[in-house]
Order: sequence, then structure tokens, then C-alpha cells
Amino acid sequence: MSAQGDCEFLVKRARELVTDDPWAAKAWLITARTLYPADFNIQYEMYTIERNAERTASAGRLLYDMFVNFPEQPAVWREITVITAALRSDCQDKHAQFLRGLFETLPGRVQCEMLLKATEQCFNTLEKAEMLLLLLRRFPESVVQHGVSLGETLLDAETLEDLDSPVNCFRKLFVCDVLPLIINAPDMRLPVSLLYKYMHKAAEFYIGYVTRGPTADSPLQGTQEGVGLKSPGGLRGSQRYVIDGLTEKSSLVTEPWERLLDILAIVGARCEWQGDKGSRSYVEILQRMKELCRYLPSLEGETLSCCRSQVVTCTTLVLFHSAYLYVSAVQPALFQAHSSPAAGPWILLEDLSSVFSEAQPERSSSKHAHKKRKLGDGREKTMWEGRVVGRHILVSKAEMPAWADMLDSFRTARESWDLLHSHEALETEFNRICASWKTESWLWLRIFLTDMIIYQGQYRKALSSLHQLASFQLPPPGQMGSSGGLEHQRALIQLASCHYALGEHRLACEKVLEVVGGLVPQTTSPSKTSEDVPRTRTKLGKGTDLRLLPCTSKAIMPFCLQLMLACFKLRAFTETRDDLALGHVIVLLQHDWPQGEALFLKAVDKICQQGSFQYENFFNYVTNIDMLEEFAYLRTTEGGKVQLELLPNQGMLIKSPSPALGLVSQEFNNLLLPGVQTTDRHHTVTRGITKGVKEDFRLAMERQVSRCGENLLTVLHRFCINEKIILVQSLP
Amino acid sequence: MTDIRRSLLRRDALSAAKEVLYHLDIHFSNQLQNTAAPVVDNGSVELVEEFVFNLPKDRSMQRKKMTSLQELQLLEITCSYFQEQGKDSLRQIIFAALFSPQSNMADDRRMAMLGKLVSMAVAVCRVPVLECAASWLQRSPASHCMRLAKVLVDDYCNSAPSPACALRDIVTVSPRFCCQFITAVTAVYDLSSDDLIPSSDLLEMVVTWVHDNPRLTLLTFLSAPMPSSRPPGALESTPLLGLVRWCVKSPLAYKRHRKPLLAPCPGAALALGPAEGGQAPGSLYSMLHLSVLQILVSLRADLTEHHLYGRVGVLPLEHVAKLVGELAVLVDQLNPGDAAAESELSLNRLAQALQVAMAAGALLCSREDLRCLCSRLPYNSLLQLVKSGPFLQPPHPEFQQESYPPIHVSTARS
Repeated sequence: MSAQGDCEFLVKRARELVTDDPWAAKAWLITARTLYPADFNIQYEMYTIERNAERTASAGRLLYDMFVNFPEQPAVWREITVITAALRSDCQDKHAQFLRGLFETLPGRVQCEMLLKATEQCFNTLEKAEMLLLLLRRFPESVVQHGVSLGETLLDAETLEDLDSPVNCFRKLFVCDVLPLIINAPDMRLPVSLLYKYMHKAAEFYIGYVTRGPTADSPLQGTQEGVGLKSPGGLRGSQRYVIDGLTEKSSLVTEPWERLLDILAIVGARCEWQGDKGSRSYVEILQRMKELCRYLPSLEGETLSCCRSQVVTCTTLVLFHSAYLYVSAVQPALFQAHSSPAAGPWILLEDLSSVFSEAQPERSSSKHAHKKRKLGDGREKTMWEGRVVGRHILVSKAEMPAWADMLDSFRTARESWDLLHSHEALETEFNRICASWKTESWLWLRIFLTDMIIYQGQYRKALSSLHQLASFQLPPPGQMGSSGGLEHQRALIQLASCHYALGEHRLACEKVLEVVGGLVPQTTSPSKTSEDVPRTRTKLGKGTDLRLLPCTSKAIMPFCLQLMLACFKLRAFTETRDDLALGHVIVLLQHDWPQGEALFLKAVDKICQQGSFQYENFFNYVTNIDMLEEFAYLRTTEGGKVQLELLPNQGMLIKSPSPALGLVSQEFNNLLLPGVQTTDRHHTVTRGITKGVKEDFRLAMERQVSRCGENLLTVLHRFCINEKIILVQSLP
Repeated sequence: MTDIRRSLLRRDALSAAKEVLYHLDIHFSNQLQNTAAPVVDNGSVELVEEFVFNLPKDRSMQRKKMTSLQELQLLEITCSYFQEQGKDSLRQIIFAALFSPQSNMADDRRMAMLGKLVSMAVAVCRVPVLECAASWLQRSPASHCMRLAKVLVDDYCNSAPSPACALRDIVTVSPRFCCQFITAVTAVYDLSSDDLIPSSDLLEMVVTWVHDNPRLTLLTFLSAPMPSSRPPGALESTPLLGLVRWCVKSPLAYKRHRKPLLAPCPGAALALGPAEGGQAPGSLYSMLHLSVLQILVSLRADLTEHHLYGRVGVLPLEHVAKLVGELAVLVDQLNPGDAAAESELSLNRLAQALQVAMAAGALLCSREDLRCLCSRLPYNSLLQLVKSGPFLQPPHPEFQQESYPPIHVSTARS
């Protein structure tokens, strides 16, 4: 026999015994090891027995022996790989725990060596980083040596792997695991520029993480309720989120904004920031930055640039934090992390609650900037530059319980933005951050910025911002009407609101009619339902400017009608006669009746003064009994024998989408104008030549009265859709 | 001295015995103030023999013997004395004065009382008495030690219907005593006859002790490693050879005794725990054998540390030779066809113990000596391998066998 043969014989005997008499097996191996201490297989067999029996201490000792005596053996490396994998994994099964326990029994020096050697053998950057991280966590003294290089490796890996999102496995490891070790290592000397670089990397990651959209694979809810603007609640079915390359557990980042604040505090302390007392809230930070900004002009040289970087870094974080909070309240579906239950989006719009007042609408919506709206474009533009401050935002407190927080966030975000734009140098530095983070591609930020610009009354700028917003959401073909469609509608309504605020009534109406075209009127509830939303809000006091409306048909439809009313009201009550505009106003005043009663009476006064009134759509769209009564009275002698020409034209009848209405109109048609051509008919009726016209009017009135029960919103919706062209054309 | 004797003679047996204890205490206290290592003088021994063990100096003076109750009282008093005397050196010398064998007529009584005292100390956990007994076991002739061990085994391992915990548990309070006790008990139960096979309770207790705390077996040796420090005829310095004897001879001895040894049950490894009730002796011996090998392995570091490597044979060669001889007889006694498996197991264990002991420096002999030693034994492949030794290999340059970091030294457990 040879030595090799002896060893094989001894190991074989041990193996034969291991199940029946493990002690004897070990006795064989102990003997074998004293005979052939340099034989690897004997020791490996000993280790295997202990490992399989999960005896931590003895397996650890044998592993230690093998690691020291047979460092080149592949089997040893296989074991070390398995153990380090268990250390990295979050698996809780018994064997993984045994392996971790086994590692713990090794002397620290050996653990350190083992991890370092295992790291060397790793070719995958991520694994290598995780391994090194194990080392750094266990042996804080190694952070000084390996910390920064590990950080840089991870940041380089991002570039090498061409990852465009900051929310990637490398960045996660860097920001959440490596960075805290680096900046918390007391012996670590870090240049300020590096600290800023790392701070910005961390901020970019956390912001990207917290504002990440719902994952593509999260289940889409198939059907949506019969709401015109689709509620995106269905998109938020699952909260599972996995960063590519990481496990679900390690993809989870808890309290990202708080973590960011932690890092900010440490970086601040390391950079010896001015007046840094480690305040713990974003709002506090903004206050401090405002104070610091006051001293900026008195500073110079290095102190100035230091201070500037501090202000920009801190304020930028406050800006994004509060803008995020605002947008997550207004557009919760944008973010996966946000978990409000099925909350729909909200839209910031001009407040039109005073539209029913007799006064001119300019009072409410245009008092700041509209006086010179007829000036040339160049002049006008300078006017729009003027910021509007201290505007009120109305919001239904019942529908948004957290309204106060939301408005606070909006204000904080605006103030941060203003601060960042209060000095040219700050703005430059801020823009540099924005450019490196590609913030122009952040939809949520664009939403905030648009609202901010609207709030500031910079409507011209707001329009371009809204067009920009529209470019974000090119709804994929066939997906129109889902969340993309919703965004589209949202932008349209805001466009309309802005155009209206700019006095561009025709454009405003155009957009509003486009919106209404996408709405489904609420047919389930009676016509008075529309009161629910506006009633509570119209009582909210006067002198208010903006309003946040939930993006639902129920809330949007009234707004659209109010906006059209506001546009036509201006034309209807001018010195010059405009029956068409007046007619539209009367139709629109039906909504929210009797809110518009005063205005209606004003219209009636005007008709009386004119002595005649011509509005061919009257019988198509006016179903309000009070109005019908008033008009019936106008024709009487007591009413002033006003000449009314209110019969519908044929073209309208043909267009009518409703079979019921079509039938009624058809009857009118047959009754009043058998075989008469459209052009002649008009003439004939107005002249009252045809006998029985009077009788026909009476009949039409009676039929109209029977329509009073019809859903008003359906009627008005039809009005907007059918009369779209006329409506737009009747505005300058 | 005669004054004391005269005054003692007037007392009754119990109070005289008490007075002797009192006298010894004062006498040796004084001695200890003058010399660090006082010796037990004849006068003291005589007093003890006359008044404690009741052996009258002259036949004419027939004294009343102590009643059983008085005897018990005396035991209690003695036990309490050792418990309460805080000075270890004083306890030791008085214990020696009372119980050191004198090779005279009094020895029987001496041993009887010692047996009762130690048994009582075990029962009520009197650690100082056990510690004194441990020293006594180190100093006294092996035959006396074996007698004491036998008493304890009879009291605790054979008689009680269920194994008494008292003895088992003293391992936690007086490991030194347990070490000596194991040495003595393996000397008694040497499996030379069927009567001298350890009872299963005793076996299980010893195996549990050794398995749970292998270092236990080296306590006496490490406290006085040089053979010269032991009086001639005393017990061996470790129980290791006795334990090796148990492991090596048990398969054949049980076979001869027709006692079922039961093969180790599969999966027993999983249930391996302290004091696993009702394990088959086969498993226990297998566990014990492994423990012994592990102790031998760890011994190498101890020997090196104490600069004794190659100088002290922990397993003396002549004792090993005796064991080999006993094994050869056993093999001869049994029909080889009948006991092939047992014989194989015994020889494997012997070969393993020899090899590991040699490698650890616990057995000082050459391969040549070994071949001569084992020439009478039947062929066994492992033994053959051990006799011829490993094939020489070039030394492993980086090899660092046994250089464990301190945290590992104490744990040589399975």
C-alpha cells in the first residue's frame, strides 16, 4: 500500500461507519489524521461529518484547520463560498443559520482573511461588493482601507453597466450600505468635494426610489368604474418591488426621506456647515437656509462657495421632499410607494365659484394681470412675469382630509424653489444638480412645477409647462383612456383654466369642450347631484383664487360648465347684442340652479330690453321649468310680447345622438315645418307668417315641460358635444 | 500526649473521638504556623486509632464500642468539621492523619469510616471532604483507592433502583475527585472477569462525565505531571489507560459474558446529549473511545506547553503491554469464528488508541517496540498499518497542526 492507499482505506472505513456509529467513524479519522496529518481528504471528511451533523463548534474548528493548512484546496473554497453566500443572503432556514453560526465560531482574523480571499475570487461586481460589505460591517477598522474604493467600484459599475436609473442594485448598495459605513468611520478622512458627490448620489437614489412609479408587472385592474376620467386606483395592486439584481428584502428601503436626512446630518457635520445643529426636519432646514441666505452677500471666497453649496444641497432636498409630498397628495397613483387607498388625482384650477354673481367675472379670475390683456403680445409678456403671491387654494376638506399638510408641502416646495432662484449663483448650482439628475424627465416634478407656475400666475409659462407635461405621457396606442388618458385630460383642463385666466376665452372653451368630450355624464344620479361638490365649496368665502378639484367627472363637469359660463357671460352682457352668447349663458345657467337665478333674471331683463330674442337651440337644451315659465310669460302681453325665435333647426335634429330627443324633435319638426327647407323655415317662423306657429310654440313648450325630469347633466353634456363648433365660433 | 490520652480514656467513645478531632485541629494549627508542610506524627495516628477507630492500645482496657447512632453522629461531626474548617492545608493534614493507610490493623476500620464519610459527603455535597478525598486518592496505594471506589459504586451505582443523581452531579463541584474516582473505578472494573464489568449506570455516568468535560481526565496529571511526584503504588496519574482498557476489552468481555452489547443504533448521533438515558453499552463505549482519542490529541499541546513532550509517558509502556497481554488472552479465550466482529472492533480500538497516543506523545515507544508488543495479537489491517507506521511523506511546508488560537483549545468535544 502507498500513503495514498492508506488514506483512502482509512477514509473509506470512516464513511462506512458514519451512519451507524458516527463516533467510531470519527475515531477512525482522528487516527488517520495522526498517521497522515498532511492529507486533505481525511480532514475534509472530518469536516463533512461535523457539517452534516450541523455541529457548529467542531465544524468551525475543522474549517479553520483546513483554511490554514489547505488554503488552495478547491473543496475549501467551495465551502467558503457556500458560507459567505449564506452570510449575504437573508435566508432564515436552519442550514443557512448553521452556516452563519459556523462562520461566527472562527477567529476574527480568519473571518477577515476568509472574506477578503473570497472577495478576491469573486468576479461579479455585485457579489464582490456584498462580500466586501460583510467584511466592512464586521471589521469597522477595514472601512478606512476598503470603504472608499468599494464605493467607487459600485459607482463605476453603474456607469460600466450603463444603468440609466439611479435606483439600481449598485447604487442601493452604495447608498444604503457602504456610504453610512464610510461617513460614520471616525478615522476616515474625506475631502469635502467627495462628501458632496456622495451626498448627491444618495439624494438622487432616495428620491428616485421614493418617487418610483408603479412597477410594470403589477396587476392592472381590468375594468374601471363608469367614471369619465379613469381612476388609476387599479394600478396600485401590488406593493412588491424588486431592484434588479437584489432580493425583494434587500430591495426594500425603509424611511428613505429619514435616511436621507441622516446622511445630510452626518455630511453636514463633516463639512462643518454653518449653523448646522443637526435639525431633524426638512421644514427646519429650509428656515435655516433662509437665514443663511441673508448672510450670503456679506461672504466671499471659500466661505461663500462653501455656504452656497450648503444652501443649494439642503434646499434642493427640501424642495424635492415637499414637492414629492405635494404631488403624492395630488397624484398618488404616480408613486408605488404611496399607499393612500385608491385616491384619484387632483387638479389645480382657477376658482370659478363666483361665476354666478352678477358682477363681471374679471373680478375674481383676472384682477391681477388681465387689465391689459388687449395689449400687444410683447407687452403682455412682461405683465405675466409679475408673480402673484398670497393666493388662496380652496379644497374640499371632506374629500382630502390631509389638505392642510398638502398645502403646507406646496408652500414649502415653492419657498424652496424661490430660495434656490434668489441668487444667480445658487440657481446655477441648483441647475447643475438638476442637469446631472435629469430632473427634466421627472414627470412628478413637472406636475409640481406646473402647479407652482399656475399658482404664481405665470399662465403663459404654465401653458408651455403643460405642453411639456403632455409630451411626458404619450399614451401608447390602445391605452388611451387609462392613466395616460387621464394625464392627458388633466393637462387639458389645466390648459383651459390657464387660457381662461389669460383671457383667451376661445382657446379656453376649445380645451374645455375637448375635456367634456372625454367625460361620461353621471347618469346614475338625478340632475341635482352636481350640487354635492360645488355647494360646499361655493360657501368657502370670496376673494379666493385657485381650487383643487378631484379629477372625476363629477367634479370636472361642473367646472367645465362654469368655465364656459364665465366665458360667455362676458360676451352676453356687453352693450352689443349677442343672442347666441346669451342663449348659451341661459343654457349653462340651468346647471346648479338656482345659483344662477340672478344672472338669469339679468338675461331676461336684457331680452326684454331688446324686445326680441333668437336662440334656436332653446328647446333642445333648456329644460328648467322656471326658465320655461319665464319664457312663456315673455311672449304674453303682460310679459312684454317679446318676440322669441327659439325653434330648433333641422341640422341639429339630424345630429341628435339621442333617439328619445330625436323623436321629440322630429315631432316638432313635423308639427311646425312639414317639408320646409332649413333656410326658409327660419325665415318663416320668425316672421310668424305660418298659421299655427303660436300654437306650435305652445305645444313645444308643453313638450319641453314634460322633459323637465331629464338628467340635466346629460342634456348639458349633449349641448357641449353637439354645439362644440358653434360654441367655439361664438367666442372671439 | 499521655495526659490527653488519660483524659480521653475517661470520656465515652463519641466525646473522646470528638475531643481527638479538636486536639488534632489545635495540634496541626500550631504545626502549620511553624512549617509549611507538617508531617503526621505517630502520636496523632495513635490517638486517632485508639479513640476514633476504637482500637485499644492495651488489650486490658476494654472500652465500650460506639453505637451505630454514635458512629453516625461522629461521621456528621467529622463531615461538618471539614465543611467548616476554612483552611485547606489544615483540612488536608487532618484528613491524612485520620485516613492515611498505616498498613496496620486499624486500616480496615479506617477504610470503613472513610467510605462512609465520602459516601455521606457525596450525598449531601460536602465539597471540602471530596477535595480531601481527591488528594487522598492521589497519595494512597491503588488497592485502598479501589476499595473506596468500590464502596461508592456499591452505594450509588448498583444498589439504588434508579441511578442516584448525587454522585453524577458532583462532577460539577469537585471534578478533581471525579478524575481520581474514574481512575480508581477503571482500576477496579478491569473486565478481567464477568464480575468486573462496570454496571450500565456506572458506565453511563463515566461516559457522560468524560464526554461532557474531556479535560476532567487530565486534572490530576496536569496538577502534578511528573511521575516522581506520585508515591509508589499509587493510582495512575490519569484514568486514560483504564478507559482505553474499557473500550478495547469491552467487545470481547461482553461477548464472553454473553451480555448483549448492542450495536450502536443508527441516528444515535443525533440524540447525542448529556446523560442520554438508556443508551446501549455499545454506543457508550464507542462514544467513550472517541472521547479518549480526542483527549489524547489535545494532550499533545499540554505536554508541549509543560515541556514534557517525549519525557513523560501518560500511558506507561508497561501498562499498555499488560493491556495488550490481557487482550491477547481474551482473544484466545473466545472462539475466533464466534467473535470475529468483536475481535476486529477490539483490535481496531487498540490500534487507534496506540496510534493516537503515540502521535500525541502520550505513549513513548517506537514502531519497533510496538511490533514486538503486539506480536501475540491476531492480524488486523489497521493494527498492521499502525505497527508499520505511515509512509513517509515530505513534510508539509505550511503545515500548522495543533496551533489553534486560544479560543479553541478548551473545546475538544465531539
